[in-house]
Amino acid sequence: MKPRIPLILFLLGCIAGIVFATISAGDFAQHLDRQVHSIHCSILPGGAPDVSGSSGCHVALMSPYASFLKGVVWGGIPVALPGIALFVFMAYRALSMWAGRRQSDRASVVFLILISALPVLTSLVFGGIAIFELETLCKTCMGIYLSSFVCFGSALGLLIKTGAPSYEDDDAAKQADDDPVARPAPNPVLHHLTGLAESGVFVVVPLIAYVALAPDHSVYAGQCGTLTNPEDPYGVFVPLGQQATGEDAIEVFDPLCPACAGFEKRLVSSGLDAELKRKAVLFPLDNACNWMVSSALHPGACTISEAVLCAGPEADAVVAWAFEQQDAIRTAAATDPEAAKRMVVAAFPSVAKCVGSPDVKTKINRSLRWAVTNKLPVLTPQLYVGGTKLCDEDTDLGLDYALAHLLDREAP
Amino acid sequence: MNPLLVRAPLFAIGVLVTPAITVSWIGDAEERLEEAEASPEEAEVAIASASDEGYCNANLKKVLRRVLQSCGLLSSGDVRGCQPLEAKNVATMQGDDFNALFLPLEERAGIIQFDKEDSALDAGDEQMLAQVFADQRGASYFFVVARSSPEGSEQFNRELSEKRGKAVLSYLQATFPDPDLEKEVGLLWLGEEYAQLHEDFCTWTRSGEECTPADLNRSAFVAWIDCQL
Repeated sequence: MKPRIPLILFLLGCIAGIVFATISAGDFAQHLDRQVHSIHCSILPGGAPDVSGSSGCHVALMSPYASFLKGVVWGGIPVALPGIALFVFMAYRALSMWAGRRQSDRASVVFLILISALPVLTSLVFGGIAIFELETLCKTCMGIYLSSFVCFGSALGLLIKTGAPSYEDDDAAKQADDDPVARPAPNPVLHHLTGLAESGVFVVVPLIAYVALAPDHSVYAGQCGTLTNPEDPYGVFVPLGQQATGEDAIEVFDPLCPACAGFEKRLVSSGLDAELKRKAVLFPLDNACNWMVSSALHPGACTISEAVLCAGPEADAVVAWAFEQQDAIRTAAATDPEAAKRMVVAAFPSVAKCVGSPDVKTKINRSLRWAVTNKLPVLTPQLYVGGTKLCDEDTDLGLDYALAHLLDREAP
Repeated sequence: MNPLLVRAPLFAIGVLVTPAITVSWIGDAEERLEEAEASPEEAEVAIASASDEGYCNANLKKVLRRVLQSCGLLSSGDVRGCQPLEAKNVATMQGDDFNALFLPLEERAGIIQFDKEDSALDAGDEQMLAQVFADQRGASYFFVVARSSPEGSEQFNRELSEKRGKAVLSYLQATFPDPDLEKEVGLLWLGEEYAQLHEDFCTWTRSGEECTPADLNRSAFVAWIDCQL
């Protein structure tokens, strides 16, 4: 028998979904080697990898929403992995219907609709997160969303066809489908339960494989160096977040560094910030005050760092504001050196007199010299828990897993 | 045909597809991880360090080291500042050559001009000194080279020069309480007989308005030195 057109469309949707989800999950999984990689970001499979590190796909991949069970396996399990499994399962169901001559079987078609609604709902949720939370669109993810809608729409189309009195294209197929020997009337409930069980197997097996086979990254915890002089003789540490309990932690960051803002989001999202008594050391990557960089990687960072030091108890609020506004501040400060000061003073008038003063400039300098004393690498962010460094490779995807292990290691 | 016979192989293939992809990814990542561990690349990230500018030539470093040693900055002694004769000895060069070493510091230096026979800093002096000192950047040493103009006796001028240098240090200690200050600020008082500043320095950042040779040398030359020793 010939497959019906909606079933063909459904299968094509599944194949597209498998391709896009495989690209997405593969981009994620390649980071298990702890190295930096370009990622694919195209609505057309096979497009050139994105090396900018700023595409919507990169933002999505590095976001807390890209994976789950992050404390169990380094980086967590990419959400696209069960996505692949689901599309494979849907393809299997569609092929089974075709090969088993069940294209007209109402229970099978209804199950196809129900199961294809899952990626549609997931797409809606993740699309919403991308638009409203991440404020960007990931082209590869859009490929998955589109595939989901094609599958769901095709399944609905198949239901409409099933309700039709006869096949338009293949009467023989109808006869075969109507053959009671070939198509015993299934119990719909049992049929759906069986389908759900099958889908569970399709989804769970790769997840178990991923968790069981992923490299053990816990061996790297505590292997990336320690602070040689963790004291603060200059009084430049800035308390961040709750200070009541937790392991002493020093965070070296630049308030206008995108990676630092991302790190903060991931840290808060992990909930592990509550287990840290954090102090910040400001390390602006801006040659207006930092002699260790030859240009202003983040224009305005020196001024905003001064504002953080000037803000006293409001330092947390200034940091949060700077993370939120960093694109606008960097852009404005790139052409107007006074712009950063104007912006921060407008938001926090109390720092007006202090920003730019010799006293705070000296403090920024002492902050940078603290990094010199400790021979820190010139990069941000860096996190030291109890004086032990969280490896740079663990500050993004592997944060939850690596920090949890570092905390366990440092716990008395 | 029994539907199970159709579905079973499809099911088996389908179930294995995603784990097979997963195993392949993880195997590749593990291989790269092992390769990276077997031959770790040199870290390309710079390490935070004090600055060491191009003007830090061998002569300047030699003077710097000798002055710092003889002024007690490279040891933990209480000695601070050098007598003029000692300064000549550590520099072992003509006064103009000594001044020439500091010419590249035009953007980093300031000249605090004192009133005649006076060693007190006025508000303008303090403001300029604070600005110069706050602009440390990566420099490791702050030099204060106090001078006096030729009027008066050599002994009086030597003492006046010393007072001027110490007035600068006192202000810095009071304004910038810092555990490193003692190791960073080097004082040198030259009196009237060595390395007088000439009028070319009038274009430099100064706290005084007049700029005769006498005005220019009733002064303390202050600058951060961006050199590593």
